[in-house]
Amino acid sequence: MDHNQGRRGHFHRGRRGPDRRGPERRQGAPPDQGNRPERTDRVDVEQIMRDIRTRIAQRSGIELSNQQIQDLAARRLEAILDPRGLKPELLDQLRRSAGERPVSVDVVTPGSAQSYPFDEATLYDSPNALLRFIRKLLQPILRMMFNPTPIAHALALQSRLNAEIAAREAERDRRQAEWNALHYEILQRLALEVSRGAIESQNLVLRVESLAAKVDFNERRVRSIEGTQVRARPQEPVQTAQPVPSVPSEGAAPLPQVVAIQPGDAPRRRRRRRRGRRGPGMTVPAEASASAPLPPGAVVEQDDVEGEDGFEDEVAPEPLDAMESTTVSEPIAEAAPVTSSEPIIPSEAITSSGVITPSAPVTSSEPLSSSEPIAAVEPLATAETAAPHEEPSSPAEPDHQDGQVNE
Amino acid sequence: MKIAIVVQRYGADISGGAELHARYIAERLARYADVRVLTTCARDYLTWRNEFPPGVDRLNGIAVERFRVSCERDAAEFGLRSVHVFSRRHSLDDELDWLASQGPTSPTLLDRLSQGRDEFDFVLLFCARYFHAYHGARIIPERAVLVPTAERDPALGMAMFRPIFRGVRAIMYNSPEEQLLIRAAASNDHVPGVVVGIGSEIPAAVEPARARAKFDLAGRYVVYVGRIDANKGCAELFDFYTRYAAERSDAPTLVLIGRPVLEIPKHPFIKHIGFVDDPDKFDVVAGATALVMPSYCESLSMVALEAWALGRPVIANAHCDVLLGQCLRSNGGLYYANAEEFGAVLDRLLADAVLVDRLGRNGRQFYEQHYSWAVIERKYLDMFAFLSSNAPTHRMEQMPGWFARRVRSLRPAAQVLDELPSGPALDADDGGSGRSAPQGQGAIA
Repeated sequence: MDHNQGRRGHFHRGRRGPDRRGPERRQGAPPDQGNRPERTDRVDVEQIMRDIRTRIAQRSGIELSNQQIQDLAARRLEAILDPRGLKPELLDQLRRSAGERPVSVDVVTPGSAQSYPFDEATLYDSPNALLRFIRKLLQPILRMMFNPTPIAHALALQSRLNAEIAAREAERDRRQAEWNALHYEILQRLALEVSRGAIESQNLVLRVESLAAKVDFNERRVRSIEGTQVRARPQEPVQTAQPVPSVPSEGAAPLPQVVAIQPGDAPRRRRRRRRGRRGPGMTVPAEASASAPLPPGAVVEQDDVEGEDGFEDEVAPEPLDAMESTTVSEPIAEAAPVTSSEPIIPSEAITSSGVITPSAPVTSSEPLSSSEPIAAVEPLATAETAAPHEEPSSPAEPDHQDGQVNE
Repeated sequence: MKIAIVVQRYGADISGGAELHARYIAERLARYADVRVLTTCARDYLTWRNEFPPGVDRLNGIAVERFRVSCERDAAEFGLRSVHVFSRRHSLDDELDWLASQGPTSPTLLDRLSQGRDEFDFVLLFCARYFHAYHGARIIPERAVLVPTAERDPALGMAMFRPIFRGVRAIMYNSPEEQLLIRAAASNDHVPGVVVGIGSEIPAAVEPARARAKFDLAGRYVVYVGRIDANKGCAELFDFYTRYAAERSDAPTLVLIGRPVLEIPKHPFIKHIGFVDDPDKFDVVAGATALVMPSYCESLSMVALEAWALGRPVIANAHCDVLLGQCLRSNGGLYYANAEEFGAVLDRLLADAVLVDRLGRNGRQFYEQHYSWAVIERKYLDMFAFLSSNAPTHRMEQMPGWFARRVRSLRPAAQVLDELPSGPALDADDGGSGRSAPQGQGAIA
């Protein structure tokens, strides 16, 4: 039950509908009113109410009043009962019968003309007493001519039948009228619900689109931050990865591991990215990204190399040799070669902020500082041992985590 | 200075808004003037049955003269006359008949006013819509100070009240909205007037915990105080609240204080604690998350002011201009216009204790600034001083003649009311700090 039906519509700052209030609006206080009291505590009730109403409007999607939905439904009802597709005057009939149900019941009464009593005496009856007397007097003479009794019986029987038929007919009409009214009501409600459902589904579609846009935007943001991170890597102090000879028997991806090592030597937590977070058009194949020339001094991260085709710890289908050569050889040629078997111990110089000078401006939300862990080449063994600590990152994970250097 | 206060009912146990208003004013003004109350013997506002004995009585040090009501109200007749004047074209005589059928008709009270024409310096007439105020204003317009306590009611659209609003010596309004409404209805800008309102006897200390223990109030709750009546918006409140509570398992309890005229729905979260005395009422309100005011028509809500005085926010019906205006001007309450907004407002308040606190503080400041007794008293005394030092500049219009009163030329009152401007007076002041001069043609300022 909608209690707002028949009431004034949306109320905002004193504007009222013309149904109860006049068309005029107050133009504020009389001129001789004093000043408005100072607002304290910085609470703006109007702003709060605006927020609340906006939220309600967003939650309910397209705002339509009940009357508007009913209007819509009425139009749909016309369409459903399209005269071209159905009986031409069905809608009118339904409406008429829905409206005139009581009339149709009351008009036909079996006690009126059809049930006029008829017996043998009726033949000689008359409102005129004299005439009645004469007929009665001459009745024996008439009986000498023919027998009126069977005629009287037949007519009496017919009268009774007429009454019964009329009653049946009236009952049938009444039921039909009720059915018609019911059908019309059902159709009307059906159309109303269909309209409501259509509006709701439209809202949901809009919402889905909005969410998809948000997801898309977030994906782009993640990628841009990752790109920024790559550019932000310092050129000199970073020990880049060395092409690693393939170790097929170990099972772990023997790719160049450029990972961050916490100064405290804490076990590395690696981010796992779910498949399909990026849109199909957004995914950069591993080969493509690997073959793309990297700027000098750029650090190639595991995540970047792996591409987006699955969890990190899934085995990359590409041949390891190809990966190694395309990924690491050219861009990191300037860096000192580091053998993967030797763990790189971050030196003082590396961890100090003075040494780490990003060659490109850092656009990440969290600027580098001395407390930031520094990227370094991790031995393969570390990568393997780190695998059990991997935790899948939630899609809703804040972006600043992606921007951290120790990823 | 001798002041008469004329009101339809008067008594310690009469808690109607205007009646309590009159009693508070009488008791406060008694500190500065010789105050005498003229009222009827009625206790029940629906029947006006004579229940108090006629004669002089004293209540809290105030002399009270009671006069018999000549006939009780016939509800059916009053209803028919109301329909007639509100919705059909009618005559002034029809309106006067409506006024008589509404009551309380007390010719002896009017005689007393007529005889005491020179006895009182000022006569405060409470409730413009009642018999005593209308005829009292016509008997002694030069001393009549009207406290209309008018709300957006079709009665305000009746033609017979316009000369009264234009002819009394001064008007003490309850709210800027009321002032604007009456000025629009009667074009009485020349009549001195000031927005005063009313204070309340707020206790110095409240004990919400005591009320919680006494009435078994666990958890958070919102409270409604007043007559539990459909006319007060309670039916809608119950509807909105039950819909809200149906969707939430942690809905706050709705505590109801007051006598029920309407059937209260049986709901686990609705708790009716009946009519309570003032200390209990203040304790319960002080412990509430907010006070709910669902009324559509209010001249001034005393319980809302009391809640603000206690530092609690108010959830008001946005369809009531006065409450909405007060919420906006005070920044002390939120408002709702439908069930969704009601739920959202409740959610917001329940989720944000800081906001509740801030709204309550703003409300308290609003109360202290405009409705503390010092402010109220000062406004009355200023008005009396102003009227004493200035001669009246206007006269009461004469009653039309016999034929003119019977011509059916007046439009339906509801139609007239519809054409009056509406909405909260956003830029208005609820009367300022008490130093503002009375407004009108003869105003000082």
